[in-house]
Amino acid sequence: MKIKVMKFGGTSVRTPEARMQAALKVLSAKEQGYEPVVVVSAIGRRGEPYATDTLGDVLLSVDPTTKPEPREMDLMISCGEIMSSVIFATLLKGLGCPSMSFRGGQAGIRTDGVYGNARILGIHPVAIVESIKRGFVPVVCGFQGVWVEGQLPGAELTTLGRGGSDTTACALGAALNADAVEIYTDVDGVKTADPDFVKEAPTLRKVTYDEVAEIAHLGAKVVHPRAAEIAMKFSIPLWVKSTFSEEIGTEIVPGKDLPGRRVTGVSHTGKLVYLSVNLASVTPEHRLEVEAKLYATFAKYRVNLYLTNIGVNSIGFAVARDEFPAVQDMLDALVLPFQKPETTIYIVQSSDKPSQAFETQLELLSPLGDIKTVPVSVTEGCTLVSVVAYQYLQQPGVYWEVLSLLHDAQIPVLQTSDSDYSLSVLIPESELRRAVQLLHEKFELTQAH
Amino acid sequence: MRHNDAETDLKEAFRREIIADADAQPSIEVEFEKARGINHIEIRSGFSGVHVLNLSEPLMASRLGVLDAIKNAKISIDFVKITRDGLSFIIPGAEHDNAKFTLDKLNINAEVRPNEAVLTVHAVNMRDEEGLVARIVSEVIASGAKIDHLGDMHDRLLMVMNFDDAKRAEAALRDGIMKESAE
Repeated sequence: MKIKVMKFGGTSVRTPEARMQAALKVLSAKEQGYEPVVVVSAIGRRGEPYATDTLGDVLLSVDPTTKPEPREMDLMISCGEIMSSVIFATLLKGLGCPSMSFRGGQAGIRTDGVYGNARILGIHPVAIVESIKRGFVPVVCGFQGVWVEGQLPGAELTTLGRGGSDTTACALGAALNADAVEIYTDVDGVKTADPDFVKEAPTLRKVTYDEVAEIAHLGAKVVHPRAAEIAMKFSIPLWVKSTFSEEIGTEIVPGKDLPGRRVTGVSHTGKLVYLSVNLASVTPEHRLEVEAKLYATFAKYRVNLYLTNIGVNSIGFAVARDEFPAVQDMLDALVLPFQKPETTIYIVQSSDKPSQAFETQLELLSPLGDIKTVPVSVTEGCTLVSVVAYQYLQQPGVYWEVLSLLHDAQIPVLQTSDSDYSLSVLIPESELRRAVQLLHEKFELTQAH
Repeated sequence: MRHNDAETDLKEAFRREIIADADAQPSIEVEFEKARGINHIEIRSGFSGVHVLNLSEPLMASRLGVLDAIKNAKISIDFVKITRDGLSFIIPGAEHDNAKFTLDKLNINAEVRPNEAVLTVHAVNMRDEEGLVARIVSEVIASGAKIDHLGDMHDRLLMVMNFDDAKRAEAALRDGIMKESAE
């Protein structure tokens, strides 16, 4: 049995016309002798009636003062994929192709019990196999599974978190020993840069699992790193293709199949805010503990840190702009008390003007010991631009080339970060388009293939 | 076989195979994703750390001057960090003397420290495990290690520090968060 898993994202199932294009891809695969297994995302994006985020917003609006239980949220947002799978299966049936929709649990996808960000523990795809044997094209809800070891009888529905539908597709591909997994989207494959910024950005013919995971990690919406990891682990041929064209797309391959030094592309994240906590007032004997306590607080409140930076007299980090108000609130008037060698109390001031909470803490705690203010400076309107490359960045001169290029273009670089696969610079958001274009040109990525 | 018959049979198959398996461990199953938290820790040693301080204004031009000199000396660098009045980065330990000689010629305030290491903490899908990066950094700092610089990838956090600090931090992570992950 030659199985092909075909995943269609939100834009591919957004309108009747788009769904028809997607359905024709499925029929074409069938004509080529494959047994297609379809995975679908919810229909459309935030603001559209059946999109995952819209459904979540509906539940949030029921009582804006209380966060819904994660279990209830999972049930709510999973409806988007259920509707999408039923509609797609019905469409296929109407085109003369017997089809059945499956929830994640019905497809045998078993997860851990972390609502909202569950991990797949195993897949027992007996129902999918059986449906194929009986001549159906299974249409599986992406992004969901079941937790079978919950406290209540029966299985609890869970959602897989970000990139959940890609993860479903790759995991099903592994469980079914598929010949290929194809991720369908609205672009022709993995591009060297966001085509909104660089019109002539070419589609790469091949990239490695690690490169695509890194590109996704640094902001491009291609294949989620979790999905790439599963594909890599099980050596599944993975493709990124467009629902709306006949282009061949991008094949994601193991590193050994694509040797050699190269620059893969230029990625960028969304909007960030950079915070710098000034520790100049912290005495040397308290320094490490203050740093550790601050990071422990970030961990406790599940703050997602970008560009973590520890300096001589400060610690710095960036957070997504939509998380910034919560982070600022969390830091404001945070009290870090020490009793030795003498009572010293550090109070964090997270905005230029001391807040009421800060002034109250100051007043209440002043009689107890030496009070020191830890100010936080905030740089809003930042973004991270990254050059993703393989065995390239560590060559002599590459950093100089990147930084001098931006310097000559008068684009301020606020901070840098790097890893084995990338070099990132934090820049003002207003310079994003120019920085992406300059770097794309510098590394001659228009010639990439 | 008519579709309705097939659907009825299929429903029966679900009832027998899937619902029954919801209470018992499925017999044929493939394991997929790695467990949450830290999966693996490694230390890469053999680096020297370069710390350049008190550069003259305009700072970025001065920083580029340093990087240009390092480029011309054909020294490979990594983990570049922009500091308040300078920059820092690491180089292969074998280039220690070459870097020192190059920087001395620039007549700037620079220090080349041997025995630097990169502590790499592997944690799959790290960005979506909110708070995990902060927790790792917190535990490393609490171990007494002084982190010079950090970088991250989709599945790992990389921390530059002195080799002895890296050993201490590795032990702390194995005893703390990694043990928790395994449990």
